[in-house]
Amino acid sequence: MTDPLETGEVVADATPRQRFILEDTGFDEVPAKYRRFYRKWRGAGDALAPNEVICPVCKVVIRSTRELRPGDRVYCMPCMSRLVVVRTADGTLEAHVSY
Amino acid sequence: MRAVPVSGDVHDLSPEQFYEEVHSFEFWFQAVEGYLSGLTWGHRPQTADPTLPAADRERLITILCNYCVGETAALDGASGLVAIAPNRLAKVFLSTQVVDEGRHLEVFFHRLRELGVADPEAEVERRASRSLLLFRRRLLELVGSKDWEAAIFAQNVILESLEFAVFHSHAEGADPVTAEILRNVIKDERRHIGFGENELGRRLANAPHIRARLGQTKRELDHLVLDALADTARLIGLPSGEDERLSRMYLGSVERLGFVL
Repeated sequence: MTDPLETGEVVADATPRQRFILEDTGFDEVPAKYRRFYRKWRGAGDALAPNEVICPVCKVVIRSTRELRPGDRVYCMPCMSRLVVVRTADGTLEAHVSY
Repeated sequence: MRAVPVSGDVHDLSPEQFYEEVHSFEFWFQAVEGYLSGLTWGHRPQTADPTLPAADRERLITILCNYCVGETAALDGASGLVAIAPNRLAKVFLSTQVVDEGRHLEVFFHRLRELGVADPEAEVERRASRSLLLFRRRLLELVGSKDWEAAIFAQNVILESLEFAVFHSHAEGADPVTAEILRNVIKDERRHIGFGENELGRRLANAPHIRARLGQTKRELDHLVLDALADTARLIGLPSGEDERLSRMYLGSVERLGFVL
């Protein structure tokens, strides 16, 4: 898959993005300076915020300081994957591996 | 010391910066320090370790013996892969994986001793699954033949995905010490499966002709892996149908790479 940031693909939604302050949730699988960007999926009853997607490779929740939109690139450091955010048929956001 | 980008968001790193960061000993050391610090033989010293009923203990010993077979295969495989890795970042990453696999083998052996096994080496030999032994032999043949793509597929996609799925399920119902050991091992496995899937994904994108060869490797190894999975699911005592969920977990990454059953 091609990196959308490298091809200059334009994200259509021009409205300002929500910003988020990330706090450490106790995720301990990456160096301390990166921990706030990840959290564990808490199972049934858990929900993703607008700045979160699940890594399809290792199932960790990836977090950003800004609202995520289709075409955004995110990194999963726990499994070292590069991903791109896509909108699914049911309207939710999902991350796909970008090889 | 490297830093997050000026924007403060890790996702603003360039792909090159990202791979330099994560495929480094510096990253590995700080990552494992987060969850291994303060542990002894893979678990907190104060974790309760109640005596298991005899039948449960027997089953657990057989399961752990087979984990040792898998980890030995991964240790031997990763060690050999360092020599044939195509670039510096892959060599450095695999050298961290060698350390991870050696640690896993050590903690599983120690757990066997904690369960009263006097000679773990002999016990592993006695209880090893034939399917896993065959898998190990074939993996080492692929490494020995310097077939980078097939060997990394067998080891970091197939074997690591199998371990990831099995350890997850086992940890849910295991005794406290075994569960803690498994949960910490899983944290290492995330890196291993991610490396394998991403490395092969890039190679398949640039050289689609290798797909047929990897498909052949998958067909050759699938039944060994699925047999081992079924055996372990039975020993763990997973309810009926749960072994299918395990198989789906295992097959997820191979499907993302475009290999279907």
